[in-house]
Amino acid sequence: MTNPVTSLVIFGIVVFLLFLIFYPKNGIYWRVKRSLEDDTKTLIEDILKKLYHAEDNGNNLNSNDIINSLNSNPKKVLETIAEMKNKELISFENGDIRLNELGMDYALRIIRVHRLWEKYLSEKTGFDKKDWHEIAEKMEHQIDSNQAKELAIDLGNPRFDPHGDPIPTETGEIEPINGKPLPAFSEGTIGRIIHIEDEPEIIYKQILAEDLHIGSHVHIIENNKKRIIFHSEGEEFILAPIVANNLTISELQKEDISEEAIFRLSNLKENEQAKIIGISRECRGETRRRLLDLGFVINTKIEVDLISPMRNPRAYLVRDTSIAIRNEQAKFILIEKIKNHAKSNI
Amino acid sequence: MKTNKILNTSNDLRWQIGEGFHDKLTEGIYSDAATIAQNSVQKKGDEKRFRFDRSLDKIVTSKIWGFPIMILILSVVLWLTIIGANYPSGLLADLLIGTVYPWLKSIGESLGFSWWLSGFLFDGVYLALAWVIAVMLPPMAIFFPLFTLLEDFGYLPRVAFNLDHLLKKSGAHGKQALTMSMGFGCNAAGVIATRIIDSPRERLIAIITNNFSLCNGRWPTQILIASIFIGALVPENFAGAVSTLAVISIALLGIFFTFMVSLFLSKTMLKGEVSSFTLELPPYRPPRFWKTIYTSLIDRTLIVLWRACVFAAPAGAVIWLISNIAIGDSNIANWLIVHLDGFGLLLGLNGVILLAYIVAIPANEIVIPTILMLTVMTASITGVGSGDGVMFELESVSATGDILKAGGWTLLTAINLMLFSLLHNPCSTTIYTIYKETKSIKWTTVASILPIILGFIVCFIVAQVWRIMV
Repeated sequence: MTNPVTSLVIFGIVVFLLFLIFYPKNGIYWRVKRSLEDDTKTLIEDILKKLYHAEDNGNNLNSNDIINSLNSNPKKVLETIAEMKNKELISFENGDIRLNELGMDYALRIIRVHRLWEKYLSEKTGFDKKDWHEIAEKMEHQIDSNQAKELAIDLGNPRFDPHGDPIPTETGEIEPINGKPLPAFSEGTIGRIIHIEDEPEIIYKQILAEDLHIGSHVHIIENNKKRIIFHSEGEEFILAPIVANNLTISELQKEDISEEAIFRLSNLKENEQAKIIGISRECRGETRRRLLDLGFVINTKIEVDLISPMRNPRAYLVRDTSIAIRNEQAKFILIEKIKNHAKSNI
Repeated sequence: MKTNKILNTSNDLRWQIGEGFHDKLTEGIYSDAATIAQNSVQKKGDEKRFRFDRSLDKIVTSKIWGFPIMILILSVVLWLTIIGANYPSGLLADLLIGTVYPWLKSIGESLGFSWWLSGFLFDGVYLALAWVIAVMLPPMAIFFPLFTLLEDFGYLPRVAFNLDHLLKKSGAHGKQALTMSMGFGCNAAGVIATRIIDSPRERLIAIITNNFSLCNGRWPTQILIASIFIGALVPENFAGAVSTLAVISIALLGIFFTFMVSLFLSKTMLKGEVSSFTLELPPYRPPRFWKTIYTSLIDRTLIVLWRACVFAAPAGAVIWLISNIAIGDSNIANWLIVHLDGFGLLLGLNGVILLAYIVAIPANEIVIPTILMLTVMTASITGVGSGDGVMFELESVSATGDILKAGGWTLLTAINLMLFSLLHNPCSTTIYTIYKETKSIKWTTVASILPIILGFIVCFIVAQVWRIMV
């Protein structure tokens, strides 16, 4: 029989090797696979996107800016830029690179696929929010316009992606966003979050950790260079300006404002009664449909029925039925508390 | 041209109705339904009944009583099943193996069957069937009706409600607590029971990990091996308690693996599957006793038993054939055992055990009889058993122990067998059921391969560490 120590060591080595080879993203297997793929197309498309976003923000980029912003070999990037000029996707203007009409169309097509795919991920799969961008970054290089068309039809021709960005149409039209970054508003403004930027990742993760939702109303309490404080759905949020800058807000007209009595269902206490006023736009796909089907619809009376031993999930009484949902989902259901405790017959 | 126009109009309209369309539609349906209901439904004074429900709910989901009540009920159900099944199982075994089997053999003889035909039919096919029925039917006929009664009463959704927070930590659904408990009865039934989980990702998790619930077919193996090898380590007074403890530890280890594997799956392979949690807590109802007994017998017990029989019959044939067909100067079984022995010993098991688990894929119930038969055959023990390819079990636990020890078993073999019995591929009935439920070869393969890989790794590490330490 083999020596137990030897066999354990061999076993350990095998496990370690497998780990090295198949470790997600950076394993040897994935690296080899990536290096075998032709990445010129990917690089062209990435440069086009950079140029599009820069022009959209009114900035100009030169070759150096592009090299610095991409994580690729500089020589390769320069070669690719030259190739793009040959294909008449771009042209040079005082050293800056500008998109030609052809390049603009191409860039919009890529952005369309990216946003459609994010929409798809949010509606039809269970991938976590923070994974959407990365997956879409890969898929945008793999889907052609026919597949994109099918995808769009399948999703019901959506106009916005889950972050609130408009999705360009097939013909390259794109709706403008009518909003400004949060720090641009003065104290006392009431507005609605219409867009959450998902890049850079570090800031996006902070926003996700704060659990801010698209479509939420915000009431700005304090706005200075150090911090921005605002109220939303019964909770107080404190953000650094650099983080708040990635939230786009559209100011609400006075008649649209339903004051601050909007709460999340997760804030409802025992013995309180409330009325549902809607489900947050962050709640999507299957989960949203199930909640609607179970009767979590506007104007429905709701109260806490039971609390499980570990305080999560809680069961709510909706239309005479006791339905348990997790607090993570209850956060998406917006309510208005009913003040007087006179129990009405439901 | 006209169709194009219509399509264009529909596309335009789609553009205009906006994103909240589905919400508005549902709202519309609900408000219409509410109006209709208000005009036509009259309510009786249901208030009292409702209050009883609520006070019961307050107790079974309370911080103090919620968990003890659950554990108590599950223990009672398992205890009733394991203890209560002994007697009818013994009766069935006496009838099918003690009486009918010799009778069939003698009929075969009087009809002039050749030894191989009678061996194939009666020692192989019939014996495997008889074994599966005798060991499987009674516990299932007790467990499933009890479980269905609890379900019918409305208690089970409360269990899911209580446990959801714990299960959520491993990415699973509260209702998995129910399918896990069901798995203690039978994994195939547990897999069918996952239909109650309406979220695709959590349902797949529940299906794939159900095998880690120690099923009825494996409890007897665990109890037998624990009482022979582990109970013997301590003074006789404590033997019973210690071996019971060992079996319970294995079951708990199974729950531990359920959590770990659930977590692993939800973070890797199943990341992209849709996940949503909602749970209705229906009002309590007095269970409809006879109807429940009838449906649980038909729907769960008989269907599972039928599937098991369909798979057990050919397995019996295979067991008999490999022990009786010779290659060169030894039979197939011996040849396989010799070749599997090296790998088996590396895992702290042996070739006999591996071969038994291969041929006994159809039903865990026939593992021990097969191991005994193969051990007697390879160790050339005389005076027990009834010949090559004829499965048997002994009344006396110590005599069984003597055979196993003569086959080279040590305490390590026993412990690893108990581990391997927990961590190996699901029986073929379960595999088939998983395929029926998921309709996916991929997930069926994962569910079949994953546990056995875990079993190999765990047994291997235990064996090496044991050899270094002891």
